[in-house]
Amino acid sequence: MRRYFLRKILHSLSIIFGVALIIFTLFHVIGGDPVYEILGKYANAERAQDLRNEYGLNKPLWTQFILYLKQIVTFDYGRSYATRQSISEILSNGIGPSLSLTLPAFVITTVLAVSISLFSAFFRGKLTDRLILLLSVLGMSVPVLAYILFGQYFLAYKLGLFPISGYAHSLGERISYLVLPVLIWIVINLGYDVRYFRVFISKELNQDYVRTARAKGLSEVSVFTKHILRNSLVPILTNVVIQIPFLILGSLLIENFFSIPGLGSVIVDAINSRDFPVIKAMTTLVSMLFIIGHLITDLLYAVVDPRIKIQ
Amino acid sequence: MIFGIEFSKIVSMKRQGITAVCITFFLAITVAGCSSRAKKEPDNTVRIFHPEKIKGLDPVYSTDVYAGLETALAYEGLLQYHYLKRPYSLIPNLAESMPEISTDGKIYTFKIKKGVLFQDDDCFKETGSKGRELTADDFVYSWMRIADPKVASTGWWVFDGKIVGLNDWREEASKNGADYSKTIKGLKAVDRYTLRIILTQPSPVFLYALALPVTFVVPKEAVQSYGSDFRNRAVGTGPFKLQEYNPALKIVWVRNPTYRSEIYPSEGEAEDKQQGLLDDAGKELPLSEKVVAHIFVEDQPVWLNFMSGNLDYISIPKDNFDQAVNARKEINPELKAKGIELRKSVRLDVTRDTFNMADSLIGKNKFLRQALSLAFDGKGFIELFFNGKVVAAQGPIPPGLPGYDPNLKNPYMEFNLTKAKELLAKAGYPNGKGLPPIEYLSQSSSIFRQMTEFYEKSLQQIGVKLKVSFYSWPEYQNAIRTRRGQIWGQAWNADYPDAENFLQLFYSKNSSPGPNDSNYSNPVFDRLFEKSVSILDINERARLYKKMVQILVEDCPWLYKVHRVDYDLVHPWLKNYKRSIFDSGRIKYLRVDSKKKIK
Repeated sequence: MRRYFLRKILHSLSIIFGVALIIFTLFHVIGGDPVYEILGKYANAERAQDLRNEYGLNKPLWTQFILYLKQIVTFDYGRSYATRQSISEILSNGIGPSLSLTLPAFVITTVLAVSISLFSAFFRGKLTDRLILLLSVLGMSVPVLAYILFGQYFLAYKLGLFPISGYAHSLGERISYLVLPVLIWIVINLGYDVRYFRVFISKELNQDYVRTARAKGLSEVSVFTKHILRNSLVPILTNVVIQIPFLILGSLLIENFFSIPGLGSVIVDAINSRDFPVIKAMTTLVSMLFIIGHLITDLLYAVVDPRIKIQ
Repeated sequence: MIFGIEFSKIVSMKRQGITAVCITFFLAITVAGCSSRAKKEPDNTVRIFHPEKIKGLDPVYSTDVYAGLETALAYEGLLQYHYLKRPYSLIPNLAESMPEISTDGKIYTFKIKKGVLFQDDDCFKETGSKGRELTADDFVYSWMRIADPKVASTGWWVFDGKIVGLNDWREEASKNGADYSKTIKGLKAVDRYTLRIILTQPSPVFLYALALPVTFVVPKEAVQSYGSDFRNRAVGTGPFKLQEYNPALKIVWVRNPTYRSEIYPSEGEAEDKQQGLLDDAGKELPLSEKVVAHIFVEDQPVWLNFMSGNLDYISIPKDNFDQAVNARKEINPELKAKGIELRKSVRLDVTRDTFNMADSLIGKNKFLRQALSLAFDGKGFIELFFNGKVVAAQGPIPPGLPGYDPNLKNPYMEFNLTKAKELLAKAGYPNGKGLPPIEYLSQSSSIFRQMTEFYEKSLQQIGVKLKVSFYSWPEYQNAIRTRRGQIWGQAWNADYPDAENFLQLFYSKNSSPGPNDSNYSNPVFDRLFEKSVSILDINERARLYKKMVQILVEDCPWLYKVHRVDYDLVHPWLKNYKRSIFDSGRIKYLRVDSKKKIK
C-alpha cells in the first residue's frame, strides 16, 4: 500500500511538473506580453517596461520558471494581473458558490441516473426501455444553451417560479436562487449519464453469476439490487468519482447566466485577459484535481471489488 | 400491470427515496418562491448592472468605466462634470471653486472645501473610527500613489510627464522604494486647504484628469491599514457607503450619513425642464437611499431582469434590440404602454480600420490607402452590422466635441468603386495587379469575422485580396503594438470631452506601442498638435483641430467607420436619468418614485 502511494505521488509530481512546463512554455512562447492588456489603451514602451519590472517579467525565463515551481509547492500564486486580487482569495470566494450549484446537482443527477438506468435495464428491449433511451438521446441532443435560455425565460420570467438570476450567502435565499440552475444541470447531464450507466448495467445482465442467482430462485429485485447493481458499480464509480474533484470548478454557462459567483468563468476570464498568475493557479489546480480523482477511483475499486488489490 | 409485479416491488422499495427527493425539491421550490418574495429593499433603491466583474474599488486602478462608476459612489475628486449641461463642462466637486490658473497656464491653485469628512471607518484610529476631515495633503498622497511604481496604477498616463518633479520621484521610487514624505515641486499642499500643482507645460485638458476616478482622493490611514485588501473596501468622502461587496455578483451601497451638503443642479439644457430633469433642483444629494449594482455577464438576464423591474435602466442588449426598438428606431409599442422610455445618445467614440503607416507598402502609398477607403461600403456596413442605428464617421472626432465639423464630407468615405479603381491604378496596382495580399488582423469573435468578410468582399471588387489573421483579444493587442499587420480594426472611446483625446492618436510621439497604433507621422500635423495642446481658448483650439482633421482626411491613416449610438431603456419610476458619458458620479442624482413603481 505504501509503495502504491509513493508511486502515485511520484507519478503525480511528474504530471504536475509536465503541466507546469507546458503552460509556462505556451504562455511565454505563444502567449506574448501581458503588460499591454493590463495597461490598456494608454500603454507605451516606458510604462510597459515599468510594469514588466514590477511583475518580474524581465527576469530570465529559467528564474521565472523556478519561481513558478516554488509557487506550486507553496500554493502561493500571488495576485491576479487583471484584478490585483490574491489568487487564494479568488479561489476561496469562488469554490463555495460553485459547489453550491454543482454538488447537489451532481448528487441528484447521479442518484436519478443510476436509478433510471437500472430501471431501464430491467425492462431491456421493451417499450419503457426504448422510451427512456429516446428521452435520453433527446436530452443529450438539445444544446446546453437552449436549456438555460428556455429555463430562465419560461420558468423564471414568464411563470415566475424562480428568481431570474442571483446568489445569496444566507442558506434560505441561496436555495431560492439555486433551484433552477440545479434543475437545468440535472436535465443537461441526466440523459448522458442514463445512457452511459445503462450500458454497464446491461452488460451484467447475461453474466454467469446472474444466471446462477436466478437458478437459485432469487427474486428479480434481489438479482438487480444485490448482484447486478453491485457488479456494475466499478465502471459507474469510475465515471462518478473522477468527476467529483472537478465540481469545484463549477459551470461556465450556468454560472454566467444565473449570476453565480463561482469559479466557472475564472479560467476563461484569465485566458482572455492574459492573467498568467490565475492561469498558472487554475491549471495546477485542475491537474491536482485530476490526479486526486484517479487516486480516489483506484482506492474505491478495491473497496467495491474485492478481486482488485492495491499493490 | 404494464411493468409487472417485479417492478412494483422495486418501486415500493425505492418509493421512500424517490419521495424524499421529490419533497426536497418541492420544499426547495417553495422556499425559493417565499424567500424571493420576502426580500425587501428600501423603496428608493436604484438598481443598475455592469456587464463584467468589478476589478476592485481602489481608485488608482479604476480606469475602466464600470470600476469607475462604482468607485465614484464612495470616492470623489477635485472636479466633476455638470450633470445636465451639454457640451460637458467641469464644475467643482471637492474643490471650493474652479482653480486659479497662472498667466503662463502652468500653475493651478485649488482651494479645497472645508469640513468634508471621510466616511467613518475603523482605519481612523485617532478619531475613534470617526471619519476625519479631508485636507490638501490627502490629494498629494493619493496622486503620489498613482506615480508609485510598486502600486502599478493603470492610470499613470493621466499624470505621466505632466507634473513637475513627479516623474523624477517615480524614477527614484523605482530604484529605492517610494518615499511619500519627499516634497515634489509640482505637487504641494500649501496649507491645510490649498493645493498647488505646477505643470511641465500648459495643458488645456489637464483639468479633465481631475474628474477621472483614478485621481479621486483616498485617506492614507485606509491604504496603510488595509494593505492589499484596500481594493475590497471603500473609505472615501462620497455620497454612498459600501454595505456589501461581491465583485462577481453584486455591490450594495447605502447613503453615507456623514456626506457633505451637495445639491441637485438647478440649470440644464432647454429640454431638461420639460423632461422633469429639474424637478429635484436644490434637493440634497444623493437622492436615493440605496444603490444595488448587479453583475450580469450575459444579455438574457439583463433583459429579463429589466422587464421584471429588477433593473431601473439598461443599455439595450444587442440580442434584444429588435424586441425593444422598431425599424424606425422608435420604442416598441408594448414597452411604451408600460411607460418605458427610450433614450438615444451619440457615444463619443469612433470605430475605424487602421492602416499601419510604418509598413513599407501601405504606409508609403497614399493612393493605395485612399483606394482601400473608397472601396469600403459604409452604408451597407452600417445597415448590416448596426441596423442603421449609428452615425457614419467622416473623421476621427465624434459629434458633440469642439472641433467636430458636421459639414465635413470625407471624399474617401463615399463607396465609389470607379474612383477606387482609378486611385488603385495611380498607386501602381491597376485592378490590383502586382499588389500582394494585404495582411489584415482581426479579432476572432464571430462579429469581427463577419465584418472582415464584408470588407474582404468589397475589396475583391477592385481586385484587392486580404490575407486575414484572426487573434484572441490579448494576442490581437500584442500584434497591433508590435506592428505585425498592415490593416486592423480598432475603436476609441473618449476619456474626456476634448477632441485632443482623439487627435493624440495621430501624434508621432505616441506611436506604437503607444496609442498612435497607425504609427502616423506627419511633421505638419505634429506642429499643429503641439500648438493646440498649449492653447487654453477652446474656440481657437477647435479651429486648429479642424485643420488637423483636414490633413488626416487627405492622408488616410484610418478608414473611418462609425460613431456608435447608445440606446437606453428607462423605467418610468426612475427619476432624473440622463446619460452622462464622463460623469462617473452620476448615480447620486437618480431616485426611484416608489408610488409609480408600485403601480
